[in-house]
Amino acid sequence: MAVIEFIDYSMGFQAQDGSVHNLIDRLSMKVEEGRALGIVGESGCGKSMASLSVMRLLPHGAVVQGGQILFEGRDLLQLSEAKIGGIRGNKITMIFQEPMTALNPVLRVGFQIGEALRLHHPDMRRDEVERAVIEALDQVGIPQPRARIHQYPHEFSGGMRQRVMIAMAMINRPALLIADEPTTALDVTIQAQILDIMKQFKQSGGMVVVTHNLGVVAELCEEVVVMYAGCAVERGTVHAIFRHPRHPYTVGLMAAIPTLSSPKTPLKTIAGAVPAIMDFGVGCRFAQRCEHCQSICRTQRPPETWLDEAHVVQCWQACGAAKGDA
Amino acid sequence: MRRYLLGRAARSLLTIFISVTLTFFIVRAMPSNPVELLINPYMSQETQDMLMQKYGLDKPLAVQYALFLKGLLQGDLGVSFSSRQPVAQVLLQKLPWTLLLIAIVMALVLGIGIPTGLLAARRRGKLADQVINVLVTLGISIFIPFLSFMFLYIFSYLLKVLPTGGAYTPPKPHGLTYVLDVARHAILPAATLAITNLANVVLYTRNSTLDVLGEDYVRTARAKGASPKRAMRVHVLRNAMIPTVTVVGLQVGVMVGGAVVTETIFAWPGIGRMLFEAIGALDYPILQGGFLLLSVSVVTMNFITDMLVGWLDPRIRLGGGRP
Repeated sequence: MAVIEFIDYSMGFQAQDGSVHNLIDRLSMKVEEGRALGIVGESGCGKSMASLSVMRLLPHGAVVQGGQILFEGRDLLQLSEAKIGGIRGNKITMIFQEPMTALNPVLRVGFQIGEALRLHHPDMRRDEVERAVIEALDQVGIPQPRARIHQYPHEFSGGMRQRVMIAMAMINRPALLIADEPTTALDVTIQAQILDIMKQFKQSGGMVVVTHNLGVVAELCEEVVVMYAGCAVERGTVHAIFRHPRHPYTVGLMAAIPTLSSPKTPLKTIAGAVPAIMDFGVGCRFAQRCEHCQSICRTQRPPETWLDEAHVVQCWQACGAAKGDA
Repeated sequence: MRRYLLGRAARSLLTIFISVTLTFFIVRAMPSNPVELLINPYMSQETQDMLMQKYGLDKPLAVQYALFLKGLLQGDLGVSFSSRQPVAQVLLQKLPWTLLLIAIVMALVLGIGIPTGLLAARRRGKLADQVINVLVTLGISIFIPFLSFMFLYIFSYLLKVLPTGGAYTPPKPHGLTYVLDVARHAILPAATLAITNLANVVLYTRNSTLDVLGEDYVRTARAKGASPKRAMRVHVLRNAMIPTVTVVGLQVGVMVGGAVVTETIFAWPGIGRMLFEAIGALDYPILQGGFLLLSVSVVTMNFITDMLVGWLDPRIRLGGGRP
């Protein structure tokens, strides 16, 4: 059974006048136990909103428009606030992008990690909590954890803080870990260390990695969803997507990665930017930037096309309908 | 930490010294002469000269200043021109009344201000927040003398429920009656003083709480499974209190000598009214003593505020060392 499964999940933002602008449009994806799913895409395409939807921690003004998010067979969207409170931070945990600001500056690191434990195990004794916290810090490779628990976040470097965040997220042995841009704010060498630590934890449960770094996906994930303007334009195994990208947006993303062997010509870029939420239009949301745009692309949303059992794409061209039009 | 404390003490002393010196010369720059107010014109010339001599007013300014500093070092603040009492004694009589007023005001300001600010932040943009915002704007912009007279008019004149002034009804009652009587007298001056401070505290608490609520670490706390209430109590409150504590701490220091208008209008026997009367009487020693007290209390409260903020926020623990 999948650890988490999105079924036609849609959400959007309510404007001042009460009308709702759709952002995530009928997103479907799932994560199997022991595997990691990467969600990639540019800023503003709904990656973070998808992960916050799982936690039911959407910001003010965000509204769920439909679909289901199944966790252990239950729809998270239907759970009471008390029930989701017991899952949040316990069975589903999250690591955030910015380790410098994600820890409370006025509380000791040991307290903040221990809090995750105490919130879900209120009857644990102080010394048990402390022992667990020290062990958790040790597991993420923080030296002298016994002394470190009494320190404050400003006494930790960025990489060390991200380790603290991981320790905090892993201390309850969650079934699902959501990492939202876990390495974006870190130095490259530190990034590699953090990825190594995250890989260790993959065996114990499912993982969702939100990133715009395809290297992180290749390193960590088995499956990948490419999101563009709230749509899962292409999804499948990492192998399928990296080797045989079919959606023009995925192709563009791949072409924009510099490699040592690439010729010394300017990197390919995708012209333009992600449209604002009000300007998505009725057709394919990538149409405005697409090199292969046909008339049907502007008027109708492309359906999901299964290329094989491990590769789905939302594109008129890929499903062949646009060919006659060309 | 010790080095920090020593440096801090040295700077505090310098501040107090400068303030005392400025006060000394400023009161003497006032365009009038205390001798004329002090001395009965029907006194003989000899008596006048004797009084001048007794208070050192016949000496050159520099000598007066030197004598004043010498007295100060020996703990002698001089003798009041008008009441002939030692200044220290006058201050000690007045200070408790001012401190009592400050204590009541602070209890009101913190007890009402912080919860109200938190409420406004939690209900951001909703009706409660809007009402609070209007009241805060009123509270900040109201003219204190107007407010005082309005209170007096309503509660003392129209409704006749509260006394117009003073700290107790003479003859001085005893026991519980005395406490209740003082409390009744303190209501109007305390309310007047509290209004502006209260508005400030509500504003600071609300705004800093809103800032903190948007911080990543609050989201982290929620993602750990903390309820909104717990996140507020454990993660928001302490961070949000930092600006409020700073403002209140500095305000308390100023209030020790600063409630001149309110204390005068309500005839409250504190430091503020003493200063007001001393200015009218050109009572140099009282003014000097009063402003010395003010500078000492401002410096002390600054120090206490820094300590409190350092305790709240480990990033700015003073003196570098770990606590």
